[in-house]
Amino acid sequence: MGVAGDARARVTAGTNIEAGPSRHVIARTLLPYVLIAPAVVVIAGVLGYPLAMLLWLSTQHYGLRELFQHQGEFVGLANFATILGDSEFRHVVLISVVFTVVNVGVSMLIATGIALLLERLSRPVRILLSSGLVLVWATPVIPAINLWQWMFDYEFGVVNWLLTHLGAGNYIHHNWFENPLQGFTVITVIVVWGAIPFLALMLYAGLTQVPRELVEAAEIDGARPWQVFAMVTVPILRPLFLILFSLSTIWDFQVFNQVWVLLNQRPSKDYFLISVYSFQESFRVSKFGLGAAAAVVMVAILLVVTFVYVRQTVRLTTEEAV
Amino acid sequence: MNPRKLLFSVVTAFALLATACGGNSNATTTTGNETGTLTVWLMNGSAPQSVVDGVNADFKAKHPNVTVDVQIQQWSDVTTKLDTAFAGSTPPDVVELGNTLVAKYAANTALADITSKKGSFENSGTWLQSLTDSCTYQGKLYCVPYYAGSRAIIYRTDMFAAAGVQPPTSIDDLLTVGQKLMTKYSSDPNFSALYFPGKYWYAAAPFVWDFGGDIATQSGSKWQGSINSSQSQQGLSTLNNLVSKLSRADKTGDELKQDQAFAQGHIAMIVANGWEVGVITDPKAGDPSLKDKLGAFPIPSHTPGQTAPVFLGGSDLAIAAHSQHQALAREWVGLLGGTKFQSQMVTVGGVIPNTTSLVSLSSGLPAIFAAAAKNSRFTPNSPNWANVESANVLQDMLVSIFTSKSTIPDATSAASNKITNILNS
Repeated sequence: MGVAGDARARVTAGTNIEAGPSRHVIARTLLPYVLIAPAVVVIAGVLGYPLAMLLWLSTQHYGLRELFQHQGEFVGLANFATILGDSEFRHVVLISVVFTVVNVGVSMLIATGIALLLERLSRPVRILLSSGLVLVWATPVIPAINLWQWMFDYEFGVVNWLLTHLGAGNYIHHNWFENPLQGFTVITVIVVWGAIPFLALMLYAGLTQVPRELVEAAEIDGARPWQVFAMVTVPILRPLFLILFSLSTIWDFQVFNQVWVLLNQRPSKDYFLISVYSFQESFRVSKFGLGAAAAVVMVAILLVVTFVYVRQTVRLTTEEAV
Repeated sequence: MNPRKLLFSVVTAFALLATACGGNSNATTTTGNETGTLTVWLMNGSAPQSVVDGVNADFKAKHPNVTVDVQIQQWSDVTTKLDTAFAGSTPPDVVELGNTLVAKYAANTALADITSKKGSFENSGTWLQSLTDSCTYQGKLYCVPYYAGSRAIIYRTDMFAAAGVQPPTSIDDLLTVGQKLMTKYSSDPNFSALYFPGKYWYAAAPFVWDFGGDIATQSGSKWQGSINSSQSQQGLSTLNNLVSKLSRADKTGDELKQDQAFAQGHIAMIVANGWEVGVITDPKAGDPSLKDKLGAFPIPSHTPGQTAPVFLGGSDLAIAAHSQHQALAREWVGLLGGTKFQSQMVTVGGVIPNTTSLVSLSSGLPAIFAAAAKNSRFTPNSPNWANVESANVLQDMLVSIFTSKSTIPDATSAASNKITNILNS
């Protein structure tokens, strides 16, 4: 319709020259908002409200007494000053960052390897392997961690038994969590084990979309397999890699269950990641304001990662458009 | 505001006030025709089912229209659940609280002040002093003592006989006895003469107290951590020596699995509560055939012939400040805390009752644990003590010492600073 339609409407409306078209225009401008409103309400309720509450809580002195009386005390940014001034918290952030980098790196590396393998396997083996991956993915997190906990158990664990019988040394009564480096290695194994299925299957799906003729052309030009991978496959899969890297970063930065369940809900300070620190401050020591502040710092760091991802994606799509 | 409206509001206000008072007086006198549900939270393993059923039956006889809903909670996550429950508008009416937790909830206005009703509870004149102390915050009573527990050493009489040793009478003797056992069972790579998981703080405390040390001391309103005093360090170093020579338990583990481990048959001694005998000989979780092979003796002191002070654990029964059924709740608590059911707690449950007048009922192994309770100590009675426990300060300190990650002076002074900070915050 556009402008011409409006004009016609104005003329034919006759007596009600003013009201008719303006109602029409309002309806047309409002319609998109009405349509999007349910989604906005749901998102605001499910994501916005808790986030707003978290931000509000992080500015409050909020302990057990305040919780029972539903009345906090506004302290501005004092909670942030406290945790950022605390060398222990800065150490926790550092540990979390290192942990995330290692876990994202290792899981992406192995997942890419498995995806490439899946592409080259015969059909029955491929089905077997992907079923295995899906089963891992389908295992509920807490029971899975409990199984790993049993395997690495100090007294009765199968890992210690196996290593000893394989002649790797005396692992009877070896404690995997006495040394945090070994402990974090076990945690990394569990996190990576849980992350691989999704990553590998996504990458495999991506690989099947790489045009055959491009690979063949590169091979005819004498490219070696790793050159094909680096020069053809990776550039084509770049958007996928970006998404997976960002998602992995978000997931691995939030790791909580693995540490909490594996260490019987009483992890020592050596095993504090940001999420564990925040939980401990909030629900164990009842300093809800400080715990919220730690969670806000965590969200802020993740926001930076997400921003980088969105910017890269926008840049990619505009490149493609040009 | 016009006069008629004013009059109307005044009348409404009075009417509301009258109904409010009416509701109140209903709640304070129990007539037998109340309706509703009384929610009770008891802890896992505290009262045998037969005792709970008995209390409910007696309660039901008096209040046929009130339903009692007894819910069993787990120790591991109970504080989080309690925090959430007390923050809501309908908390459970009666809660069992570990005696180290009461001060935290009393100080934060979660519990009903029952000071004026103390006399209405049976045996309140002879309640165990340390449990009454745990119920008292700033001179007011916030709960009714429920039962007590203290730790002693449970041992395998057959293993002691095989190694030709007797229950030790001093800490030095304990080491000697343990080493003989280690030699006797040296072919078993899993054998522990004294199984001592690294985070088992309540078994370590007696050693600290025995040498004259303490966790923290109070002067005025200020607390000062004292786990780094030379006496405390001496106790911990003695314990460290015992653990390194006699225990193959996980140095970073906790005591939650120790009864199951004991039932596997590679352990001669554990530091345990009286009720753990039941877990060890449980047909499902443990080994019933051990029933005749178990003995107990108090943790010995470094002074020969004496016993070390032990931590007096236990539970109290409190009523939520926001409970809608204050009088009914008090009545239910009165039943479980009274003579009839406390006697059953001793004879069936094997625990130490809440009153000195019934202690003599215990016999056999429970009597040894009851005797150990006579020389008992308690943790700092501060509302912040629960946070020291939640933050694992003492557990982490023990792990650092046992795994040689820190020296005893370093580990204890770090822990002591944390305790000072938390208790004074």
